[in-house]
Amino acid sequence: MTLISEKTKSSEGDQMEKMDIHIFSDRCAGCQECVVRCPTNALKMDSLSWTVVAEDELCVGCRQCERTCPFTAIKINGPVMVDVRIKQEHFKPMSIDHNADELRLPIKSFEDAKKEAMRCLDCPDPTCLRGCPAHNDIPSFIRAVREGNLQEAHSVLSRTSVLPDVCSRVCDQATQCEGSCSWSLAGKQPVAIGLLERFITENADFLPLEKGNKATGLEVAIIGSGPAGIAAATELVKQGAKVTVFEKDSTPGGLITWGIPDFTLPHEVAKRPWDRLINEGVNLKVNTEIKEAEVNDLLGNYDALIIACGASQPIKLPVEGGDLKGVVDATTFLKNGQEAINNGSSISEIEVLGLKGVSSPHILVLGAGNTAMDVARTARRLGASVRAIDWMDQKFAPVRPDELAEAKSEGVEITFSSTLVSLTGNNGRVSTAKIAKTTQTSAKELPKVQSGSTSDEKVDLVVMAMGYRVDPDIQKALNGAPIRKKPAEKVDRRWIASGIFANPAPEFARGQNVGVISLSREIANQLSMIPRRPRMWVVGDALIGPATVVEAMAHGRDAARAIITHKPSKSGGSEVGLYATKTAKVLIAVESRGGTTLKIGEAIQKRISSSDVEVRVQKLNTITMEDIAWADHLILGTWVEGFVVAKVGLPKFTKAWLKTLPPLGGLPTSIYVTYSFNPKDVLGNLAKELEGKGAKIQSKEAFKTTLGGTVDLSGIDNFASSITGQKKGAAKVTTR
Amino acid sequence: MTITEASQVGDEVKGESPSTISGATGSQRVAVRLRKPYETDVEQRFRLTDPSKGLELSKNKHVRRVLKNRKFQFFLILPNQIVFWGVIFLGILGTVNPDLNFATAITWFLWFALVFVMMVVVGRAWCVMCPFGGFAEWIQRKSFWNRTQKALGLGRKFPESIAKYGLITSVGTFLLLTWLEEFFNIAGPGNPEATSIMVIGIVISAVTFFMVFERRTFCRYVCPLSALIGSVGAAGTAAGFRTKDRDKCLNCKTKECMRGGDEGFGCPWYTWPGSADSNLTCGLCSECYKACPSDNVGFFIQKPLTSMIAPLRRRADVAWSVLLLWGLVVFQQFNAVSLYGTIDNWLNTKMHFPQYPNPVDYIGIIFLVTLIMAGIAWVGSKAMKKDAVQLDLSGSPVNFAGAKASSKTIKHSFVDKKSQFRSFMLPLSYGLIPVVGADYFARQLPKFFLNVLKLVPDVGAWFGIGGGTNAKLFNAEILSGNQIVAVQVGVIIVGMLASLYAMRKIIKRDIVPFATSPFATKLVAYGTVLACGVGASWLYVMMHAAT
Repeated sequence: MTLISEKTKSSEGDQMEKMDIHIFSDRCAGCQECVVRCPTNALKMDSLSWTVVAEDELCVGCRQCERTCPFTAIKINGPVMVDVRIKQEHFKPMSIDHNADELRLPIKSFEDAKKEAMRCLDCPDPTCLRGCPAHNDIPSFIRAVREGNLQEAHSVLSRTSVLPDVCSRVCDQATQCEGSCSWSLAGKQPVAIGLLERFITENADFLPLEKGNKATGLEVAIIGSGPAGIAAATELVKQGAKVTVFEKDSTPGGLITWGIPDFTLPHEVAKRPWDRLINEGVNLKVNTEIKEAEVNDLLGNYDALIIACGASQPIKLPVEGGDLKGVVDATTFLKNGQEAINNGSSISEIEVLGLKGVSSPHILVLGAGNTAMDVARTARRLGASVRAIDWMDQKFAPVRPDELAEAKSEGVEITFSSTLVSLTGNNGRVSTAKIAKTTQTSAKELPKVQSGSTSDEKVDLVVMAMGYRVDPDIQKALNGAPIRKKPAEKVDRRWIASGIFANPAPEFARGQNVGVISLSREIANQLSMIPRRPRMWVVGDALIGPATVVEAMAHGRDAARAIITHKPSKSGGSEVGLYATKTAKVLIAVESRGGTTLKIGEAIQKRISSSDVEVRVQKLNTITMEDIAWADHLILGTWVEGFVVAKVGLPKFTKAWLKTLPPLGGLPTSIYVTYSFNPKDVLGNLAKELEGKGAKIQSKEAFKTTLGGTVDLSGIDNFASSITGQKKGAAKVTTR
Repeated sequence: MTITEASQVGDEVKGESPSTISGATGSQRVAVRLRKPYETDVEQRFRLTDPSKGLELSKNKHVRRVLKNRKFQFFLILPNQIVFWGVIFLGILGTVNPDLNFATAITWFLWFALVFVMMVVVGRAWCVMCPFGGFAEWIQRKSFWNRTQKALGLGRKFPESIAKYGLITSVGTFLLLTWLEEFFNIAGPGNPEATSIMVIGIVISAVTFFMVFERRTFCRYVCPLSALIGSVGAAGTAAGFRTKDRDKCLNCKTKECMRGGDEGFGCPWYTWPGSADSNLTCGLCSECYKACPSDNVGFFIQKPLTSMIAPLRRRADVAWSVLLLWGLVVFQQFNAVSLYGTIDNWLNTKMHFPQYPNPVDYIGIIFLVTLIMAGIAWVGSKAMKKDAVQLDLSGSPVNFAGAKASSKTIKHSFVDKKSQFRSFMLPLSYGLIPVVGADYFARQLPKFFLNVLKLVPDVGAWFGIGGGTNAKLFNAEILSGNQIVAVQVGVIIVGMLASLYAMRKIIKRDIVPFATSPFATKLVAYGTVLACGVGASWLYVMMHAAT
């Protein structure tokens, strides 16, 4: 399975160093965490000492073993043996004036693509795949490229992504898949995953949607036609659902249509998904803005609703003079600027900008992020001189260095640690910007304005491009969203095991902690599977605030798949709970100390399991958000802590678990507790807490245990039958 | 709340479509294709060392509840913590009379003897309740018992150039501490203040190591008692925390027992229950038991001597530790003989060294004894086959150190490398463990039998009762000098018999099938045990005669 053609020197020229895998045999416990993850099979077991032994000649120095060894019992001395990464070529037009050509060029030939694909190690536990928010099966599609099978590669991509052509162009791979690549974690240049993905989408044949009928009969409304809406609509329509998409603009696509200029994402690529969706029969209603008040109507008319409205309201800097003419937001500028480039008209002809008669205006752009750079570069293409200012120190600003470099090469002046203080104007139109210097000592701290550092700058136009937020009107309907992505309180052990946290801040990822940010994204992604209200899912920027295209796409895909799994129905009205159809998937979540609570859970499982009802019993610490999303009925069982009648309450672990529960969106829930003397009001408190999370409490039961370990199960039959609505003949169960 | 992924195991799935799981999204989220773990010889490899299923104590509901409780270790440490802080304060502030001072009395009359009983009967029982490592660990974890996620300190890895010698570092610190104890006369007849300073020194060392290095690096590599408890503890009946189903452990993708889980820390001793074949490095702390999400770790007991007879992997660090520790205990017996006094005085005069024990004769005698033992092993190894012994896990005969090294990793490992010398020396040393342990235990007996009753008036003196030095118990002895020698010789005989029993089993499996002259190997092995036993007994008689 070797994946690199030969061990050649890396760009740092460390070819001649000898490879030496050093196993610290005193500490190696033979757990084989390295053996099962070594991409080149260089690690084996010595069955007598039960420690790992190494074959140096097979090692390529990726150091996956070092990152995954739980006891730091392995050390690689030697070079990282990886070929030089393919370079991102750029198109260099004679003049950028009104030039909308795509600047980042694809891989030129299949040979080049294969050569780059040969750099991939095909890691058994690929960290790149965790870094990708959509979890594209990167090693598999790269393997297909290496084997010359582009159709297979495209097929692999299509399992997880409906926008590979878009994502390959707009994703910041450095902090996602490529930053998490084994080579990147080892301090070298990662595989050019984005370029290979783009190569596949540009060279493989168009793949028709794989049709199914799992959602036949479902009617789903989607608010918003951006990447989240596209992904959701695609998943639903290919399973036979009837999908209606409401878009407030005149053209579908949201941000990928109007927010990303053609020189980054060509128009024909951006519109491709909607051309297909319309062909597939999705009912698209443009120029239709849905307000908060209409959300309930939609829930009444459709079986499920996905809110994928994005974060489209530009953030305005509240400065003196901010309401002068000549101060516009990024959306306005980008929409009209792109149109002017396409039409060949000049910037002075864009009426909304009010630059009539100004042939070469000076534009001040506030911000240096993605949108600000798109604004600045669009402005340069329209002949303006542009200065972009950002109040953060460049060290801490969330900006892409490649974008900054491209913008600078096009003549954009970018100044960090500067902020707008006020604007003054002539005759109601902006003319002068007062700019102050700022200082910032850490990423966590907000920049501070330096006193006495202000300077004036003559400006013809000011574009506020500091970012977006969710429209406050629709936000009222989102039940607490957008939420803030944050690092996990308890880091998932499978992610630790993969080694993604071991060298967390590779240089290629601009020193960012790829493990932490990937896991933060993943936690938010899994929230998209769980409805915020009965039959209402919120996805994309509406769920997590302004984020990336690929995250929005993953959210839309996962929400749609959850809808297909559960098939919610409008027939009971909008407020009867998520699952109007009969209970089919029951999750019994158990916190058990001595085993009694678990056994009761298993006894309930026996009573309600049938060919129609699937029941899982799981301990609390094994329950994932996907398990919660899977269930259409949750049963929570826990023991009761306390000494006789003192300090009676929920055990610590149950309390901690409840805190981590996402909003349950009306999930029918039953609860039981086991107690020895007196459960006091534990059941009631637990019910209240769950209701606070949005659960609909259906049944409650307290089971008394004796010191000998026997349990009074007299209430179990009623409890079980209330869940499925069916009485089953149940054998007497005693637990001991 | 954790996140979801599905995974596939085994090379055979490489290149195949990811399988699906019945999750909410109807498909897997992360396509993981781990290689299949090596399992070919696993059953044979652990056949002899895995405790029987029936010996799992944690099957008992009450034991299970205790071990699952996060306060389990805290409450074992707490009493010792109180006692040793008492030692620190009373050693400095209390009476200078070592017999009357609680610090010296508890430490040297009772504690040291108890530690030996615990190590011989249980294994690393002292380690689970040790107040030194325990105190430092509370600081490192920033908690008395809670599972915290971030450790205090630098979390460095112990330098491999030292750690590769395994328990040898611990033997080194034990030799150093013993020399200091002899030089400053801390233990006998005793010095309360010096005892207190010694305990403070151990606490400071422990805290420093816990702050610089990860986990229980101090306990595993540096603690003066680690090698002694680890090797002699092989006689103990606690097998420690072991896997219940090894296949499940091998295919576990997260190894919470090693990395730490929601309810337990990763093993502080760098031990994996899935591969533990002795109780050598199990600190009995129960963290793996708590951390395992699959309830696949159990607490097992075993027949006495199992951890020295059964392991296929014979570790060179254990073997050399046994020989060095034997050297030390022989020195401690020999130093009571008048001949030693003559040698020590002569050396001190020549070297202008102030007092007993001269470091040269101290180290010289220990190393000489160790070299004599190694020389005996070398002679014995001449009766072993020169060619690499073929390993056959499926049958009973195995000689770890004689098997052909499977790679340069093994060839370069101090612990595991192979040679003809090691093919005899390693099994021989393991077989000597009971007699060495017995000798250490026997040496503690005089202090115990002569002085332990003083503890009662010592404690009474705090409250002004009991009569202090005039108390009957203060001047009482459990056994007289002659009786003690008899008991000491008896202990040595018991140790010798246990060694002979262990050696017989070890010879049968590890030596005779690979010997060119089985008789010669048996002669050397049994002869060494007998010589050690007789020699130690004779030295006790001589010691008594000298006093």
